[in-house]
Amino acid sequence: MNNLEKYTKVFTETFEIPEEEVQSLKYQDIKAWDSVGHMGLVAKLEEAFDIMMETDDIIDLSSFEKGKEILAKYDVEIK
Amino acid sequence: MIEYTPQNIRMWSLLGSCGAFGTAASALPEIDKNILILTADLCYYSGLTRFKETYPDKLINVGIAEQNLIGVAAGLAKEGFNPFVTTYASFASLRCADQVKVNMGYMKLPVKLIGLTSGLSVGILGPTHMCTEDIAVMRSIPNITILSPADCTETVKCVLEAAKINSPVYIRLTGSFNNPAVYKKDYDFHLYSADTIKNGDDITIIATGSMVFNSIKAAQILEKRGLNSTVINMHTLKPLDIEIIKKSCKTKLIVTVEEHSIYGGLGAAVSETLGAINRKPKHLIIGISDEYKHAGEYKYLLEQYGLSPEQIAEKIEKSYKET
Repeated sequence: MNNLEKYTKVFTETFEIPEEEVQSLKYQDIKAWDSVGHMGLVAKLEEAFDIMMETDDIIDLSSFEKGKEILAKYDVEIK
Repeated sequence: MIEYTPQNIRMWSLLGSCGAFGTAASALPEIDKNILILTADLCYYSGLTRFKETYPDKLINVGIAEQNLIGVAAGLAKEGFNPFVTTYASFASLRCADQVKVNMGYMKLPVKLIGLTSGLSVGILGPTHMCTEDIAVMRSIPNITILSPADCTETVKCVLEAAKINSPVYIRLTGSFNNPAVYKKDYDFHLYSADTIKNGDDITIIATGSMVFNSIKAAQILEKRGLNSTVINMHTLKPLDIEIIKKSCKTKLIVTVEEHSIYGGLGAAVSETLGAINRKPKHLIIGISDEYKHAGEYKYLLEQYGLSPEQIAEKIEKSYKET
């Protein structure tokens, strides 16, 4: 599984939504991505990519696309 | 049902103690169908948004009326409900002192009072919202069990245990968002029995709440300087685990560390216990000095009061050398 597949799977599993809905997803677009869901997402991303995110990055993680930029800071290239 | 998976433990840490309470709250109706949660306009801040959606009939927001909050909860407890109540710790303990004394202490009604953001974590709001006096207030009122979890996982465990207690409980929540984890995996939590996290022969550090993590870090610093410390998590402040304090007398120095006033808190409770023991070591009390500092960020205030791991280690080393 490449990084993009892994990244997408974290979103689909955390929020229980199909892959096609993930691409344009933003914070609070769906009920499941509330503050609790957000921290669940961060915890799963950290485990999937073996990283520990900084507080500012946790707050900045506002969409599926933004998450890719943030993970790049941790040398995780989502392709 | 709550699962203590590494992901959940990390998620609770990220949410902080208030969010961890909210997560635990969602599991409470599975334990007792008579659970109700009451809040004084802190539904979101107590992490209760999901609880409200799932159990709209089990959440009561009384508005900004904390004293009334305790009265309503007490009445519901009297009618057989198992009410959990959330408000800022400063309001729970000081604004509501009379209601807590009469309804929880005197009448022994099984209200579970959650003191949110105790200590310095809401320091940016100033001393009106910071809470460095709640242990002192609650300890002086009979019949109330006082819990002070070390991290967010222990917060979840304390909340679930409190639901099973048919008497008044005060849970003191400290720390902030992205709270460091003391317990990174599931463990056995024993109400009323302190948890020894680390053993060492020279010094015993007894800590509570957020200061357990900082004390572990301080112990690591001291170890590099040749001093070995036992670190104890005193998660139950009343009734106090007297036996573990007696055992601590084998070391040359006992240190208590708390994000609370140096008066009336954990240090005072341990000191009262040591007073009845003939041969005991010196006791160093580390906590909030007897002054209100200017509002500031949490980390800044911890440093202002000398509660960073490095500052704790310095104080302990100095005191140990003077014994």
